[in-house]
Amino acid sequence: MNKTMRRWDIFRVSMILLLSAFALVSLIPFYFLLVSSFKPGVEMVRSGISLNPHFEKFTLDMYGLLFSPKESNYFFWYRNSLAYTGAQTICGLALTSAVGYSLGVYRFRGRNAIFVLVLLVMMIPIEIMMIPLYKEMIALHFFDNILGVVLPFAVFPSAVFFFRQYSSGLPLELMDAGRIDGLTEYGLFYRIMLPLMKPAFGAMAILISMNSWNSLVWPMVVLRNSKKLTIPLGLSTLITPYGNNYDLLMPGAVLAVVPIVILFALNQRSFMEGLTVGGVKG
Amino acid sequence: MTARPSGAGMAKKIARGFFYSPKVAPYVLVLPFLISFLVFFFYPLISTVQMSFQNIAGFDEVRFIGLQNYANLLNDRFFSAIRVTFLYTFWTILILVPLPLFLAVLLNSKRKIGAGFFKAAYFIPQLTSVIVAGIFFRFAFSDSATALINTIVAAFGGEPVQWLKKSVPTMAVLVTLCVWRWLGVNIVYFLAGLQNISPELYESASMDGASAARKFLHITLPGVKPTIVYVITISVYGGFSMFAESYALFGTARTPGEIGSTMVGYIYQQAFVEARLGFGAAAGMALLLLVLLINVVQLKFFNAFETEA
Amino acid sequence: MRSDKMKALSLAVCVLLLAVFSACAPAASTTTTAAVTTTTAAETAAAATDATTAAAPAAGGGDPVKLSFWTFQNAHQEFMADAANSWNEANPDRPIELEIGVYSYDDNHNNLLISLQSGTGAPDIVDIEIGRFANYLKGTPQLLPLNDIVEPLQDKLIMSRFENYAKDGSYYGVDYHVGVPAIYYNTEICDAAGIDIDAIKTWDQYAEAGKTVLEKTGVPMTTLEVTEHWSFYPLVTQKNSDWLGADGSVTLDDASNAEVLQFLYDMMYDSQIAVPAPGGFHHAEEYYAFMEGGGAASVWMPQWYMNRFTDYMPALNGKIAVRPLPRWEENGVYGAGLGGTGTSITNQSKSPELAKEFLSFAKLSTEGSLKTWTMLGFDPLRWDIWTMDEMKAPNKFTEFYGTGVFDMLVTLKDQLHPIHVGELYPNAQTLVQSSVVFKVLSEKSMSPQEALDAAAQELRAQQ
Repeated sequence: MNKTMRRWDIFRVSMILLLSAFALVSLIPFYFLLVSSFKPGVEMVRSGISLNPHFEKFTLDMYGLLFSPKESNYFFWYRNSLAYTGAQTICGLALTSAVGYSLGVYRFRGRNAIFVLVLLVMMIPIEIMMIPLYKEMIALHFFDNILGVVLPFAVFPSAVFFFRQYSSGLPLELMDAGRIDGLTEYGLFYRIMLPLMKPAFGAMAILISMNSWNSLVWPMVVLRNSKKLTIPLGLSTLITPYGNNYDLLMPGAVLAVVPIVILFALNQRSFMEGLTVGGVKG
Repeated sequence: MTARPSGAGMAKKIARGFFYSPKVAPYVLVLPFLISFLVFFFYPLISTVQMSFQNIAGFDEVRFIGLQNYANLLNDRFFSAIRVTFLYTFWTILILVPLPLFLAVLLNSKRKIGAGFFKAAYFIPQLTSVIVAGIFFRFAFSDSATALINTIVAAFGGEPVQWLKKSVPTMAVLVTLCVWRWLGVNIVYFLAGLQNISPELYESASMDGASAARKFLHITLPGVKPTIVYVITISVYGGFSMFAESYALFGTARTPGEIGSTMVGYIYQQAFVEARLGFGAAAGMALLLLVLLINVVQLKFFNAFETEA
Repeated sequence: MRSDKMKALSLAVCVLLLAVFSACAPAASTTTTAAVTTTTAAETAAAATDATTAAAPAAGGGDPVKLSFWTFQNAHQEFMADAANSWNEANPDRPIELEIGVYSYDDNHNNLLISLQSGTGAPDIVDIEIGRFANYLKGTPQLLPLNDIVEPLQDKLIMSRFENYAKDGSYYGVDYHVGVPAIYYNTEICDAAGIDIDAIKTWDQYAEAGKTVLEKTGVPMTTLEVTEHWSFYPLVTQKNSDWLGADGSVTLDDASNAEVLQFLYDMMYDSQIAVPAPGGFHHAEEYYAFMEGGGAASVWMPQWYMNRFTDYMPALNGKIAVRPLPRWEENGVYGAGLGGTGTSITNQSKSPELAKEFLSFAKLSTEGSLKTWTMLGFDPLRWDIWTMDEMKAPNKFTEFYGTGVFDMLVTLKDQLHPIHVGELYPNAQTLVQSSVVFKVLSEKSMSPQEALDAAAQELRAQQ
């Protein structure tokens, strides 16, 4: 008994070591970003990312620059990113859940065809049709505003895919019971099925908001006013072919990550449960 | 208020009945997708198809040139981009399926190993923008002997590697960046799949004296097959639409010797850097056809439509 | 329920963040974006103050006219914001409000292309880099000719720099600088090797001196770009050659281009007096660190590279001598001014005349030209400025290099010729960067003539 116990412990320790090695690789970039953000940009140029952190060169000056609103639009970018992400997530959840549910639960003509279209949208990079889409945005008066950022990608195909998979595993008997109780089809969706899909909502909220927070290509095309940009777009203005502005880039990058990591850490368990429970079913 | 509905009221009622009927409701629910598809996808796609047959020289000279753009696609740079894209997709799938599955199996173990912490640690890279990740990776994989990765290479007695100047190391960096960002997400998908496997299956297998390897092969693997299909599907799409990673790493759409230029990168380069909009559209169509083809093959292969119908 | 709690909590945090950031954001409208320099914090602060005040409408005049300006360079943003301030002081009756958008290099050019293509959304004034400029001259240019502000000054301007942005006799862009090719010697290394940099007039002499430097100090004479064109291109223009001919035809596979490439190849792999630039090009972080640490005895780059030394390699202060580039023969062709960004006015501008006047004021007036040196460290387009005493007034550049740079440059002013920016120029430049120099000098997978032939063939297929 004692012997097996010890064997298990060795197994457990080696497992933890292995997992820790991967965790180290996952987290180490953040350590270096953080360390670099406290050093003047010229240090970044001089020594890059190396094992020696050069603590003696630490300063808070660059954060000061970033935080003096007169000198940088960082606050606007931050606020915009939050607003776009919020709108995109709410709008996306409302629409994709309905679409995915319909595809997963009902048997109707054209169902497979529609699903193929979802897959099609999912796999086509928007770069190939940027110019017509841009012209359309201007015609619809969606240009340089939140509607243009959010609406074209509100029906987020991966989320439709996920909701379809998820809802196809729901107990259909409940629908019949609901019909007998006099609920309409939409009532069924809203009152009975939606609550059952809650975990999927948690998961997709994360998926959609992460995508929106980090999206680069489309907002770049549809936004123009410097004060309407998002954080990734704003940070990319600091990268130029003739020299990058590391003074602002590094602290800007750190602050772009920190809140979302804090948010994630606070809700980590629920986040994970959402994704896990909403797992892919055959 | 009379009980007898008027003519207009009757029509309304019929319309309501129609709207609420189980035959119609599914269409109403998918309507947002159909509208969005037509407006934001189908219409621009048709314009793109049209552009692909045109030579758009400048701003006011548009000429129909038939299949000339498609003929021009047969060039080395485009083939190189196809090769890079295929290789990248291949490698990311080869790593991003078994590795997260393995880690998920470890994390799913009943022993106390701090699974919560590890799950979070693996997931956090996904929260960062490619721009931010690109800054770190560019520095870490820099040419200089004092850069992070070359220091590690040196510690193992290797010579400093010029990571972003040769095709094999460049592919390694691109795949590493991708694995770093997506490992945690795939782990979570696999954990989800694992939790759908009934624990009794393992218990009875244990009683039959099955080894861990046998259990993995005969219980775990079949149990997570749907997850594997899903992960491969999203990886194929991710791989074929890859551009941002390469862009962030090289700081431009152009890469030396085309070693890191993907198909989307090529489209971007042609359409915007070189202002050949018609030709870029044709390259886009080629990508579309290629992905469609792969998609059909894949769906046939995995029978994804045969879901518990 | 846990998921409810989670939602409530995330919502709360989001709302909190939103509130904090809305509160922190300045209520007053500032029209400039991140006002930052690539140099020091102190300078950033100073420049930013200028930039913000540029938005303030001048007192006394009527309503300021709004002009929009896009750029991809923070330094250009500060320059133009400063010019707008000066304009409002000088023209209180016609104030302007310059709305500046700073985008990444790609966004700036792509968005302009899309806006001009679709006929809407373009700014009044826009910066276009020379490598992309030809894209906007295809067909009927959607930019306005600037002849009426350029021609009155033409005997004071280095006109070859305007030919770069011209089509059918119309000038469409005003650059920020001339970009005289120059060579930067690390005097510490050159002195240690005992070579006389002023005696180096030809490339043969340069190569000989390089051997001495390598022998005496063990340091390479120079670095060569293997992923960009700045090492290759100046020497090409010194052969009176180019990627394209004056008529736009492809001349990339010209034998003289292959000779230049062979010369570079021999420096690197035969006499070994040159090494590939760490990071691949002269703007890589690895490269700055390498040069700052005394990695090579010299490097040739256009005049505007001066500010890269001051900004990124401050340890070399006082150790860099700027000299004319060696030539193929003594008193041979000197070459072309290189690089640059043309500022243009689009045909979508609602106040084209005012925009033109402002552009002329900002860049072509005496004060404006002077500021391209004092603010940006560039060689102004007006050569008559080069000899003014103000050019020697102390600034961070004179402190770094001494005051003699323009005395040297002025001897070269009549020897510069234009490059040929035909329709295929962006494609040609991309091919030279990612294919020709890389395959010959880095991969060594192709001979110079082979690489040039392959690239030229691809270019011709696009005509």
